[in-house]
This record gives sequence, structure tokens and C-alpha cells, in this order.
Amino acid sequence: MLSYILRRIVATLPVMAIVALFVFSLLYIAPGDPAVVIAGDQASPEDVERIRQSLGLDRPFLVQFGSWVWRILHGDLGTSIFTNLPVSAMIGQRLGPTLSLMIVTLLLTIVVAVPLGVVAAWKAGSLIDRVIMGFAVFGFSLPVFVVGYMLAYVFALELEWLPVQGYTPLTQGLWPWLENLILPAIALGCVYIALVARITRAAMLEVLQQDYIRTAKAKGLGQGGILFIHALKNAAVPIVTVIGIGIALLIGGAVVTESVFAIPGLGRLTIDAILRRDYPVIQGIVLLFSFVYVLVNLMIDVTYTLVDPRIRY
Amino acid sequence: MALLEVENLQTHFRTPGGINRAVDGVSFHVNEGETLAIVGESGCGKSVTSMSLMRLVPEPPGRIAGSIRFAGKDLLKLSDREMRAIRGNDISMIFQEPMTSLNPVLTVGRQIRETLMIHQGLDKQAAEAHAIEMLTLVGIPEPKRRVREYPHQLSGGMRQRVMIAVALACNPKLLIADEPTTALDVTIQAQILKLMLDLKRRVGAAIILITHDLGVVAEIAERVMVMYAGRKVEEAPVAELFRSPRHPYTQGLLGAVPKLGSSLAGTATRLAEIPGQVPDLRKPITGCVFAGRCALATDLCRQYAPGLEEKGPRHIAACHYAAKGAIAA
Repeated sequence: MLSYILRRIVATLPVMAIVALFVFSLLYIAPGDPAVVIAGDQASPEDVERIRQSLGLDRPFLVQFGSWVWRILHGDLGTSIFTNLPVSAMIGQRLGPTLSLMIVTLLLTIVVAVPLGVVAAWKAGSLIDRVIMGFAVFGFSLPVFVVGYMLAYVFALELEWLPVQGYTPLTQGLWPWLENLILPAIALGCVYIALVARITRAAMLEVLQQDYIRTAKAKGLGQGGILFIHALKNAAVPIVTVIGIGIALLIGGAVVTESVFAIPGLGRLTIDAILRRDYPVIQGIVLLFSFVYVLVNLMIDVTYTLVDPRIRY
Repeated sequence: MALLEVENLQTHFRTPGGINRAVDGVSFHVNEGETLAIVGESGCGKSVTSMSLMRLVPEPPGRIAGSIRFAGKDLLKLSDREMRAIRGNDISMIFQEPMTSLNPVLTVGRQIRETLMIHQGLDKQAAEAHAIEMLTLVGIPEPKRRVREYPHQLSGGMRQRVMIAVALACNPKLLIADEPTTALDVTIQAQILKLMLDLKRRVGAAIILITHDLGVVAEIAERVMVMYAGRKVEEAPVAELFRSPRHPYTQGLLGAVPKLGSSLAGTATRLAEIPGQVPDLRKPITGCVFAGRCALATDLCRQYAPGLEEKGPRHIAACHYAAKGAIAA
């Protein structure tokens, strides 16, 4: 098992290399001369030439790529063109809020979506099933920012139960941290909850037809034990897969959610960087998200072995 | 004394094509410690009968009517909770498919333990110890290791032994075995049957054996009930039934069993078959259910359904011409 994980980590290296190549090419795929792009609209030809040399843009592409990778391997993601701060430091500052938002959303999704899907499958065809699946379609169809503004209006502005926007680090206490994240997590989680609930229902429906479920009933097990132990563990592989894939959805959604709720996270940083054409920052963020995603995939594969003993690597 | 008394059991399923009368007015009883075999071809309602006894028929689309008295209680009148206390404890079941009847993602030990923890209130350690005992009892080598294994690590025969261990863990009064050996190869079949009989004597359980294998019936049953198209057509002690089957359907079934070595002895005959098909259970049947396939059928059979009548000692059959039939056999 441990050797498998090690092998998998080694296998992620080529994947990351390809991602790095794409990320690095960003600057060159974008229309125009990179040096001109970086220098901005009001730069003089001398400025452009200075930037071209200082960034090594006059050297061959592969040489540039090689030295860029070399620096990244040493923990240097470059320097922001706009703020002149190291990119790694900028990402470090913004990582906490985004990570908090994603973890709270993930937990919320699992706690809400899986039981909903299980109940819908158990009561398939009934009113409860139709109500749950109706909500799933609803959640699926509403864009994050619509849900976000609606939640903020009702629960923050009108009822004043929760703060409208902002972020408090966890170091200032659990509740202040959480109360700022509840509405964003619900807004961001809507699509995700709908997706996971639907997949859970589908996977459970198939499992509930199996002979071993009949055996479990014949043994005198209660409905809870049958659904959540005998059936859910068998349905877990597709559910875990979708939860993992959903993390990619979260990364995209977080960018919007952070704007709506004014959370100073990576999403905001990304938007700002794109608007300012701050290429080193964009590259650093995309690289980080890709790395997280590769890591999540590895975690999914490892989770499979925990839920299904027939899967061994 | 009768442990189980089933009266006028009717299990119907609502289908798009009409109501399917899978079991239509079947009555029988099982005495304490007795082995009753229910035989018939596929689709005759024998499995649905056994599932109805445990109330494992999905409702809807199924609907069970009649009465099932077990140890004085009508199972059809119990709440779901009361019924759960009986399943796996007083009545337990072994299924046909050992490959798919055990949960693939739970250890064998857990699957035996569960029933002990629910019904006997054992804690995890005690249940685990008892599970190992049960595995030893059903003849699984290295039970201490096997108890931690998963079903896919066991062979078909082993899995059926585990199923038996699960079924017998709580010393049930009645064991329903639905074609327990059909999916196993012949040598394993004999072992499993012997094991079931040994354990039945040990715990004093009664057995309802559902099968289409008449060889198995001859070997272990005391009494036989023959079902056809959702109804009981004949019932007799096993020796009596094999000696003088009264219903033409039973005669057909017995005639369809190949006789080993008959071709060597020069007495080979073409294997008898029962022509025709089981009637559509979604349409009401007037007259005898078997009339469409019966060589002896007359207008009487096609118009009036025969009732179950005494044809011999403890021997009943539903046929207008059962007496003649016995001679014809």
C-alpha cells in the first residue's frame, strides 16, 4: 500500500511537468509579445526592452522553461509584476480563507448530500424522493452568485443572523471563523450537493437490488443498518469519485464565491491577477490548483481501498 | 405440533400487464424439527412462497394475504419491528446464490456477528468468539483467519458454509433453504446437504427446502409439497410420493429425472418431458391449472378446478383423475 502511494506520487511528476509546460506557455499563447504585455500600455520601447532582458525573454523558449522549472523546484514562483512581492508569499497569505471555504463546503456537502441521496433511493418513486430530486435540479440550475446574493440578502441583511461578508481567521476562534463561512459554503455547495445527492441515489438504487441486501433483511437488520452500512459501503466508489471530481468544481466556484462574499482568498487573487495581467501570479495559482487536483485524485484512489476490499493495488 | 401453519397464502404482484398471482391460495404446515421440501419448476411460486414467509416480498408491488401462523403468532399481522426480531433469529434463510448473497465489502466475521449482536444482545468480543465457533461448526478450516476475510477470498462452497453459519448462528426454529445447492458443483452439494442435516439435528430446527432437484428431495426431505403455477397440486410423505405419485404433473417431474447407467443396462429410454408451458399467471385460470399440458385432461378438467383430495395415507392431490393417474404411472 505504502509502495503504491509512493509509486503514485512518482507518477504524478510527468503529469505536473505537462501542467507546468502549459502554465508556462500561457504567456506565449496569449496574443502579443510577452514583454509588451507585461510592460503594459504606457511603457516606452526602452522599458519593454529592459523587461525583456530582466525576465530573460530574449532567450530560447526551452531554456526559459528550464530555468523557470528550476526556480519552482527551489520554491521560487517568481515575483508579481504588479506588487513586486514574491508570488509564493502572496499565495501563502490567501491560502487560508480559500482552504477554509473549500473544507467547510466539502464537509457540508458530504453531511447533507449523502443522506439525502440515500433516503431518495430508499424511498425511490415516493413524494420524498421527488422533493429531494426536485431540489437537486433546482440547486443544479442556480448559479453560485445568484444563490450567494440571495442568501446574503435574506440571512445577513434582513434577518441579521450572519455577517454579510468578510473573513476571520480560525486563530480568532471557531465561531467567528465559521459564521463567515456558512453562507459562502451553502452558496458554493449548492451545485455540489445536487450532484453528489444524485449520484448517491443512483448508486444506492443499484446496490439495493443486490442479493446481499435481501440477506441483510433476512438477518433481521433494521433499515438504518441496511442503508448506511450494507448498502452505502457498496455504493461508495462512485460517490467518492464524484466528491473528488467535485473539488475541481469547488476551485472554479470559489473564485466567484469569494467575490460575492468579499473573502480575501485565492479566488480574488486570481481575478485580480487576471485583470492586471500579472502572469507570474496566474502561473503560480494555476500550478497550485493543478497540484491540489492531482493530490485529490491520489486521495480518491487510496479511499477506494478503504471502502472496497476487492480493490488492491 | 405444527410450528408453522400457512393458510390460503396469496402473494400477488401488480405489474403493467395485470396482477401476477405468483402464489395463489397455498396452505401447508411444518412440524417442529421436520423437513418439508417444496418442489416445482422455475416460476411455480416456490421461492415467492418462501420469501412471503419472511415477508421479504417488496410491498408494493407485491401483496401478501392469507395467514402465516408461526409459533402461535400470525406473521402477517406483526409490525415491521416485531417481524425484524423474528427474521434471522426464529426463522432464518439460506439463499441460492452464495456468490452474491454475502456482502462483498464486509468481513465474514462481521456478517455472522451482526445477527448475534442484534438478536442475542452479545457484545462485539462475544459475538466474534461465537462467529469463530460457527465457522468451525460449518467446517471451515482456520476459522480465526477466515473470520477476518472477505467473501471474495472464499470459494463458492465456503461461502455457502458461511451463509449456513449466519443462518444458524441464533439457533432458529425454522430454516428456509431456497435452492441451497443449485449453484454448487455436485461434490460440494453433497457436503452442504450433509452439513445442513447435521446442524438441523444439533439445533433441532425444522427445514423448508425449496428445490427442483428431486435427488436432493429423496435424500433429506420427510414430506414433499409439489407446486405448480402458484398452487399446491400434491403433498405426501417422501417415500409415498416417489412410490405412487398421483398428480400427472408430479409424475411428469419424476419421469423427467435421468436414470444413471440406464443406457449401459440397455434399458435406456428417451428422457420424458412435460410438453407445453406454464400458464400466464396474469390471466385468470378456469379449471385445472395443469390442464393445458396434461395428457389425461378432459373437458371436466378444463371447466372445473379439482380440489385437493385425500388420495392415500397423508397423501393429497388436486386432480380429477388422480386414481387413474396412479395406475397409469
